[in-house]
Amino acid sequence: MQLAVNILVLAAIYALIACGYVLIYRVSRVLNLAHGELMMLGAYMLVATASAFSMSPVMAVVIAALMSLAVGGMVYLFLMRRMTGEMVLAAVLTTVALGILIRGAVILIWSAQQYHPRAMLGWGNPVITLPGDARISLYAALLIMATVVVYGGLFLFLRFGRWGMRMRAAGQDPLLAAQRGINLHAVFALAWGLSTFTGALAGILIALDSGLDSTMVMIGLKAFPAALVGGLDSLAGALLGALIIAAAEVGVIRFIDPLLADVVPFIVLIAMLVIRPWGLFGTREELDRV
Amino acid sequence: MKTMNWSILVGLATVLAAPPALAQDALKIGLTGALTGPVAGTYAPAVEGLRLYIDRLNKAGGVNGRQIELLLQDDASEPSRAAANAKRFLTQDGVVMLLNASLSSTYAPTIAEAKRAGVPLLFTAAACPPEVFPPADPNLFCTTAFGTEYDSRAALNFIKETAGTEVKIGFQAMAIPVSRGEIDYAENLAKGMGMTSVAKEITPPPAPDYSPFASNISSAGAEWVWSWAPWGSQIKTFEALRRLGWEGNYLAWAHLEAESELERVKDPGFYVLGANALFAEDLPVMQEITDAAQAAGAEYPANQMTEGWIAGMVIEAALASAEDPGSADSVREAMSGLSVDTKGLRGGSLEWTEENHFRTQQHYKVYRWNPESEGIETVSGWTTFDVE
Amino acid sequence: MSKPLPSASGHFRRSYADEFRLIETRLAKTSAAAFALVLLVFPFAVSPFYVDLATQVFLAAIGALALMLLTGIAGQISLGHAGLLAAGAFTTGILYKEFGAPFWVTLPSAALAGALLGVVFGLPSLRLRGLYLAVSTLALHFLVVYLGGEYETRRGFSTGILVDPPVVFGYEIYAPRVWYFVLLAAAALTLLICINLMRSRSGRAWRAIHSNETVAEALGIGIARYKLLAFVITSAITAMAGALFAYYRGFVSIEAFSLYLTIQYVAMIIIGGMGSLLGALLGALFVTLFPYVIEGAMAALPGADRLAGSVFAVNYAAFGIVMILFLVFEPQGLVGIWRRVRNYFLLWPFRQTALGERP
Repeated sequence: MQLAVNILVLAAIYALIACGYVLIYRVSRVLNLAHGELMMLGAYMLVATASAFSMSPVMAVVIAALMSLAVGGMVYLFLMRRMTGEMVLAAVLTTVALGILIRGAVILIWSAQQYHPRAMLGWGNPVITLPGDARISLYAALLIMATVVVYGGLFLFLRFGRWGMRMRAAGQDPLLAAQRGINLHAVFALAWGLSTFTGALAGILIALDSGLDSTMVMIGLKAFPAALVGGLDSLAGALLGALIIAAAEVGVIRFIDPLLADVVPFIVLIAMLVIRPWGLFGTREELDRV
Repeated sequence: MKTMNWSILVGLATVLAAPPALAQDALKIGLTGALTGPVAGTYAPAVEGLRLYIDRLNKAGGVNGRQIELLLQDDASEPSRAAANAKRFLTQDGVVMLLNASLSSTYAPTIAEAKRAGVPLLFTAAACPPEVFPPADPNLFCTTAFGTEYDSRAALNFIKETAGTEVKIGFQAMAIPVSRGEIDYAENLAKGMGMTSVAKEITPPPAPDYSPFASNISSAGAEWVWSWAPWGSQIKTFEALRRLGWEGNYLAWAHLEAESELERVKDPGFYVLGANALFAEDLPVMQEITDAAQAAGAEYPANQMTEGWIAGMVIEAALASAEDPGSADSVREAMSGLSVDTKGLRGGSLEWTEENHFRTQQHYKVYRWNPESEGIETVSGWTTFDVE
Repeated sequence: MSKPLPSASGHFRRSYADEFRLIETRLAKTSAAAFALVLLVFPFAVSPFYVDLATQVFLAAIGALALMLLTGIAGQISLGHAGLLAAGAFTTGILYKEFGAPFWVTLPSAALAGALLGVVFGLPSLRLRGLYLAVSTLALHFLVVYLGGEYETRRGFSTGILVDPPVVFGYEIYAPRVWYFVLLAAAALTLLICINLMRSRSGRAWRAIHSNETVAEALGIGIARYKLLAFVITSAITAMAGALFAYYRGFVSIEAFSLYLTIQYVAMIIIGGMGSLLGALLGALFVTLFPYVIEGAMAALPGADRLAGSVFAVNYAAFGIVMILFLVFEPQGLVGIWRRVRNYFLLWPFRQTALGERP
């Protein structure tokens, strides 16, 4: 039972991060390799707001999340907008460069110290006992719930929302979408904002659960295989991919060798690339578009 | 854009052309350390402590009237950077002593460079390499609290005294060679002592969730856990264990962060073992460090600077007792027979001999949080091991 | 096909023999000779620290040239460059530690290991393109690093494998100046190989594949063969660079081959200018020296002591900014700037903007 809970928590972490990769890729065909850094930045925002709004902890979390939404939009407006129409590789490398910039800036501002935002906000982390004597911490449970809410929200938004429909249209055919009067830049900026927002949400919840330092970037990178295994342009795929990767990882830790935990996601990824490069739910034509 | 690039070229030309300003009389020592980067939290506070100590020393007139110039270079725990830094100190700045305050991966290149240049190398913040233990390499010295193998002996001794040998013990390490090596040694030692080793979890450097590893330890029924790894991995494994409802005792190595972390975690089942006294003891020397940190507006808390302060004391003593502190050979000679009073920061004075560049005696103390007195308490006073 | 000369230079090729000459004009000959002279005199004119810097540049140049062949010329993206360097370094380290193998055994073995890995890295390229290819090479990087780490831990070399200086004909390569010339020669040799590859059938095939795979295939170019060839050659050269790194630095350890190293090499070819060998050299120079320039600039600022702890963070941030600036404002890289400057002087007093080139 505990095994299932462990898998579920890890899957939720990967899924919540992976949906950021998917959102941007689906809309603009750009792979955002700065996602891990943006996620970490969101968590550090919480450190900043936690000291500024020590009176009302909930406000601090909400403002930090909203700030990351704005940061994502701004990243598009001031940086990535200039890369539209350039080679895809150039755009991807721009995100790599952005990631390096953020890493440097984060250490400059917050130093390499370990932070504990939960203690700063004065919250506890009670443990919930589930049937079957499995246990889960409050924030891990919140993380699973956040993942469910975010994915549910995104499905509804993309299906029925006016802007969601525009995002899908822009992803399918930017030229046609623009001709129908859709403001592509606004759509892309929204995608970046949402992606950073969900990433930051994951970052904030992980930081609340177990603390924060600059190694969080690596977690963002580990979620990347999940997005790819599921198919880079499919949200449902990201969810399933996260579950597969998490199950493989937790299973290996439990039954084989904990040392392999870091390599397993990439082994699954290689296997997937050999068998079905476009991922479980990905669109096949993507391969030729790049 | 064009102008920007030209200005870079011009800047490059000036940097390459201008020789570094030389202060005439100052004794130069060069430190390469992980001042930034993912593991900087373990090293940067010690380096700041060392800097504060040297600043204070210089204000008080330096060593025998000569100022000490502490040159700092960041290597962000990258071996190639450390090699370049060491080369720079040795060939360009002409330092009389090289210091390493970085991850173990930087040891090989700095050792190689220092040996070539014949300049003594002192390890000031990270685990001591095997070469400083007897029979010691003549060129390498170490002041750091860590003592591989002795740490595990002290830890298992403590567990034996507290819980006897009829104990199920779990181990935790991080997936870096040094940590894995120490925990492998500890596991064998525990078996030799008649303890039952039930789990050995090696966690990757950053794990998104430590629960899967903790579940293994918990479900194996470990009563005690000994953990010797970077702080983040030790504490996160412990916290994950507690979240799983595990009720055993956890003994971890007391890194720089130990004191503030004991106060944060507030768990009487969480013990730290270390060779440095914690600030909870409030010795006069600790007040000095706190004052110096406050006066300088230090970035890191004073209670993380012990390691750097001890290094400062040792460097001062070495330079003061050297016949010619401007010569690396003379400094090395002085270091090979040195005894430094640590003023209570350690369990005794730090002594180096021809044969032993670690220290002749290593002392350990165990602390934990006491919920009744709402403070840190000493569980086991100084236990001494002779280093042979 | 030789490199095109700017039409305004006043120099034209008049015979087939001209097409095959490496150095065509008198000006080129004089400047090449002057440059060679500067390189020869350099180590005797400056402090060992700068000799070390120059040596690092040569080492980086070898790797950058190799990556330029693969990515800049043949258009195959690889994020496994650090993995390949690690493979070369570890081959050397392991052969040296386990069998005491000398220089002339380890270097070819490293190249061979690199070539084999090149086939492995290259196989996905037959199926995958663009991002997917990049990701598969990235996954292989993690695999190589994991294997290296396992070797280090299992054999107890937890602080890295120490490698003694190589001995060639009873002479130990050890002093900084000796290394300077060894690596200068290695870099020059690599450059020559690359230039000749570019002028040969395979160079033309790679460019054709880069521009349009379908058309290239229609022209009768064996896509799979030439793609694999690009991977094999690049990987062999890169692994050799890794082996040279091991000897030069005197150690091998996995921590020296992080993902950041790959990013640095990719940055070299972007900042230098995609598709140009000169660009690879300029990029290697720029990226290697950049942190030292930032450090020098920060040391010159007032209050340098206080900043000492943040130099690396500033470096990181500045490196990111420079990369972004190049990607956004100067996609042709340093080589683009160089060409514009050169054309400016060639055409002076006239101004001309070539078709397709940004004004």
